[in-house]
Amino acid sequence: MAAGLARRDRRFGLLMAGPGLAAMLLVVLFPLVFTAWTSLYEFTLLRPVHDLFVGLGNFAAALDDGGFRHALRVTLAFVVAVVLLEFLLGLVVALALDSVERGRAVYYAILLCPLLMNPVVVGLIWRMFLHPTQGIVNYVIGLAGIAPVNWLGDPAVAFWTLVAVDIWHQVSFMVVLLLAGLAALPPEPYEAARMEGAGPIRAFFWITLPLLRPVITVTLLIRLIFAVRTYDLVYIMTRGGPGNATDLVSYFIYRQAFVTLNLGRAAAMSLVLLAIVLLLTAWLHRYMRSLRA
Amino acid sequence: MTRALMLSTAAIALLTGAADARTIHILMESVPDTRFVQEVVPEFTAQTGIEVDIEVVNYAEMHTKLVPQLVAPAGSYDVIVVDFYWVGEFTKAGWLQPLDERIAASGFDTSVYFPAMMDLVGRVDGVVYMLPFYNYAMALTYRKDLLEDPAEQAAFAAKYGTPLRVPQGWDEYLKQVEFFTRKPDLHGVVNQGLRPDPIAMEWSNYLFARGGEYYDPATWEPKLTSPEAVAALEDYKRNVQEFGPLGAASFGFDEAFNVAAQGKAYSYITYNFFRTAYDDPSQSAVVGKMELAPVPVAGLNGGWGWAIPRSSPDPDAAWQFIAWIESPEIAKRRAALGGSPTRADVFADPDLNAKYPYYPALQALLEGSKNFPVFTYTPQFVEVLGRELSLAVTGEKEPAAALAAANEEFRALLRQDGKLP
Amino acid sequence: MPDIRLEQVSKVYPGGVTAVDAVSLDIRDGELMVLLGPSGCGKSTTLRMIAGLEPITTGRLWIGERLMNEVDPKDRDLAFVFQSYALFPHMTVAGNLAFGMRIRGVPRAEAGRRLQEVAATLGLTELLERKPGQLSGGQRQRVALGRALLRDPVAFLLDEPLSNLDAKLRAGMRTELIKLHRRVGRTMIHVTHDQVEAMTMAERICIMRDGRIVQVGAPMEVYRNPADTFVAGFLASPPMNLLDARIEPEGAGALVIAHGLRVPLPGALPPGPVTLGLRPEEVTLAPDGAARIALDTVTQAVEALGPEVILVGALGDPRGPEVSWRMPRDFTAAIGQPVRLWLDPTTVRLFEAKSGVAIALSWPKP
Ligand SMILES: Nc1ncnc2c1ncn2[C@@H]1O[C@H](COP(=O)(O)OP(=O)(O)O)[C@@H](O)[C@H]1O
Ligand SMILES: [Mg+2]
Repeated sequence: MAAGLARRDRRFGLLMAGPGLAAMLLVVLFPLVFTAWTSLYEFTLLRPVHDLFVGLGNFAAALDDGGFRHALRVTLAFVVAVVLLEFLLGLVVALALDSVERGRAVYYAILLCPLLMNPVVVGLIWRMFLHPTQGIVNYVIGLAGIAPVNWLGDPAVAFWTLVAVDIWHQVSFMVVLLLAGLAALPPEPYEAARMEGAGPIRAFFWITLPLLRPVITVTLLIRLIFAVRTYDLVYIMTRGGPGNATDLVSYFIYRQAFVTLNLGRAAAMSLVLLAIVLLLTAWLHRYMRSLRA
Repeated sequence: MTRALMLSTAAIALLTGAADARTIHILMESVPDTRFVQEVVPEFTAQTGIEVDIEVVNYAEMHTKLVPQLVAPAGSYDVIVVDFYWVGEFTKAGWLQPLDERIAASGFDTSVYFPAMMDLVGRVDGVVYMLPFYNYAMALTYRKDLLEDPAEQAAFAAKYGTPLRVPQGWDEYLKQVEFFTRKPDLHGVVNQGLRPDPIAMEWSNYLFARGGEYYDPATWEPKLTSPEAVAALEDYKRNVQEFGPLGAASFGFDEAFNVAAQGKAYSYITYNFFRTAYDDPSQSAVVGKMELAPVPVAGLNGGWGWAIPRSSPDPDAAWQFIAWIESPEIAKRRAALGGSPTRADVFADPDLNAKYPYYPALQALLEGSKNFPVFTYTPQFVEVLGRELSLAVTGEKEPAAALAAANEEFRALLRQDGKLP
Repeated sequence: MPDIRLEQVSKVYPGGVTAVDAVSLDIRDGELMVLLGPSGCGKSTTLRMIAGLEPITTGRLWIGERLMNEVDPKDRDLAFVFQSYALFPHMTVAGNLAFGMRIRGVPRAEAGRRLQEVAATLGLTELLERKPGQLSGGQRQRVALGRALLRDPVAFLLDEPLSNLDAKLRAGMRTELIKLHRRVGRTMIHVTHDQVEAMTMAERICIMRDGRIVQVGAPMEVYRNPADTFVAGFLASPPMNLLDARIEPEGAGALVIAHGLRVPLPGALPPGPVTLGLRPEEVTLAPDGAARIALDTVTQAVEALGPEVILVGALGDPRGPEVSWRMPRDFTAAIGQPVRLWLDPTTVRLFEAKSGVAIALSWPKP
């Protein structure tokens, strides 16, 4: 009787959740399955039909492609640099803002501005600012007597320029999330620590950081995933150049799809990237959990 | 993922495309000629009752926006403009409608177009798919005031033993570049070193000027490893690194133009349509000081054509529009506004010649320009070439090695296209 | 160990709330002082000012001979137990307990030994590896206490440490705390709004109201002689019966009259309105004693509590003011039934009608 009821309940539940689940499967799973399927064919926009099965040929070609491997390496360096720097900077700013009593809304608004800007606009604006002879940046550092810097034209500098612009654009994301995390921390443990004689530095390392860990983990993960997908900024600012110093993998794959028109190859590359991101995510998650012990 | 994106945009296009049959939608690049078209279309609407909706985007976005629409059974664009280097790809994929029947039916005269333009953005394998819209053959733009300055002329003659004049040969031009480099206020040249298309297009001039070729016209055998090609790349690299402003290796054409328009460069090899912009005080500090000449030996031809995609929702209205915008009267009006003509009748117009004294030079330029390789995989070749040139310019690869790599990939693409065995 | 002394200490929060108003209080070395008062009366604020968690707006705080107003909490040498326990959620019980010792650099071996000792005292030995989230309220409470005990402070400050526990646990912990106080012999300032807790634990009670101290004294002293009607009404349950009354002269002495009840008073008192206070336990069912005065109560409710019975009724007649009396556990009465009770007149208390301040009565020594 009870079991029957439970079963009926479950069936009803499935009935209610069914359409939602189906929609989600369609929305999330369909493109993924389509990508996987396409990756097994020689499928180009010039001949958009699945009739030439190549097995894992696209994957082999992708991994064999020096340009793709180079793009993966550049992306790894880029992701590590932006995520780490944005996290450190974001944490410092969040801590500073957390102690601000008045006008926090104003700071929030200012901080959110870059975040709300379209990356294309960000890229265009910075390209203008960083113009070696007509840009404001070189003008300002020139006032300080510093020689003009070849921000986007020198392969060694361009990578870090891109990192810096990304930080400018996205650091608020970290600030806002970390600030929310900080605001949610209970005040009492800090008072307890104060009574025990802990100064602000110890309170930070012994209380804030560990208590903030879940927020930090999530923030890092989201940022990491988005950083891997960075595309607009390179597209607008460097086109992967000079040379191939800033050839991020998302832009590389985009070109496979829309310039080379080779969707099969692009799909295989996307899946390789997806696998790497999943591995990174799992690793970061495990690592953050292991810190607790 | 990209595929899903494409499908969904195609689906949206399908839903919205059919809704308003008497409006035609056109995707165009944000360049001066597009502005001139926008200025005259109200008359078309007044005459025909057909609304014209022109979507203007950055060049970089165009190909990406177009392809999903062209693949879809019914796209959202009735008329498109096709850059010459998409021509091979678009026609091979069957995305464009042949225009011969419509031309014959409406008695449209295509003989007025320069044959070179017709070959570039008109006819493919004997079938007309496009009408040439405007040309962007590249020209040498230079500081006329400096060139004609007697003091400069004397100094130049003393240094090189040759007169300072509009360069007749490539070496002569290179000497002028060197001569006019007086950093930081003046550079002999400004380059557009951004990959892929700005650098690839600009360097093509160097290649042709050096007497090089992309391929053997008879056999399609790639010729990028020739000594001329290597010398051309060495010239290019030296110009960027030694005689150009800081950052030229990452400039797009607008940034490079800016440098020239601020009077910071003696010369800039660029699209001829910038000629009018130099004389616009709102964008230029060198009004009346810049002039245009053909690139010594030969420069790169370029152009856009009007076409009707297979996926056009309303091809009849589309043709009506193209025939109107390319009618002699409207073509002259556009030229009068500053457009870059593709037709002999416009170049012969006395009023226009009075207004634009450089028209004969421009015509000579169009007639002497050479084409970039047009085949199915042109965009990919531009990508490859741009990457390798950029690597060479920034010193990460030797010019010869970079060209060898580009040559091999060029060969592979030609094979893929069936041009080579 | 030094005394703790508050001199005219006030706290005005930003925004203008005066939470504590010119409080002066001496807390003697080793004393268990309870701050008692209703919620919002400024107890926590007072305690936090002593601890240094809240700056003092005006007045002075002394610990011994040292002026403490500007001294950092860590240099005041006080241990604080928070109402919400304020455990470090990411640390085990052992980590929580060891926190302070780590900061103070207590050698590892000694820290371990003392930790085990305190854990054993508080029955935490089995729980040392758990996180606070895996503990019951009482266990968390003990961890918080343990953290304080591992210090050797001048005084323990406890802010309602028992208020989050259920009634049974609270009674047990109360006794534990008293024992603990006796064992460590250190000053303890205990904040509570629970008068039973205050009465059972305190050596002295400091009763606060609206940011001010109303009365300080030993529990029974405060109980017997409340300084005003607020204290009278706050302590004990049921509280003292407070009745509108008036004084009339009667020969050499005076009478206090409340709704037909007439109680003779010693000495002459100015006639006029007063408040008459009667403790519920100061009546008997039999007039065993010469001086007792008869008092009738019309039964409205009889609440059997087990060890005793509370009789709630109307004084004199059914329209009389409500009064409560403590009766022996076998007492019964029907609703509406009048009950005759006998009052010892020396137990009555008088308060000024307007201010509520106690009026001293001087009964001749028996
Ligand atoms: N941080 C604060 N800011 C402003 N007012 C406060 C603050 N803390 C307490 N108060 C106010 O001060 C008064 C006394 O509070 P508190 O000392 O916490 O009372 P208690 O502990 O006796 O319940 C209350 O009216 C309370 O609202
Ligand atoms: Mg409190």
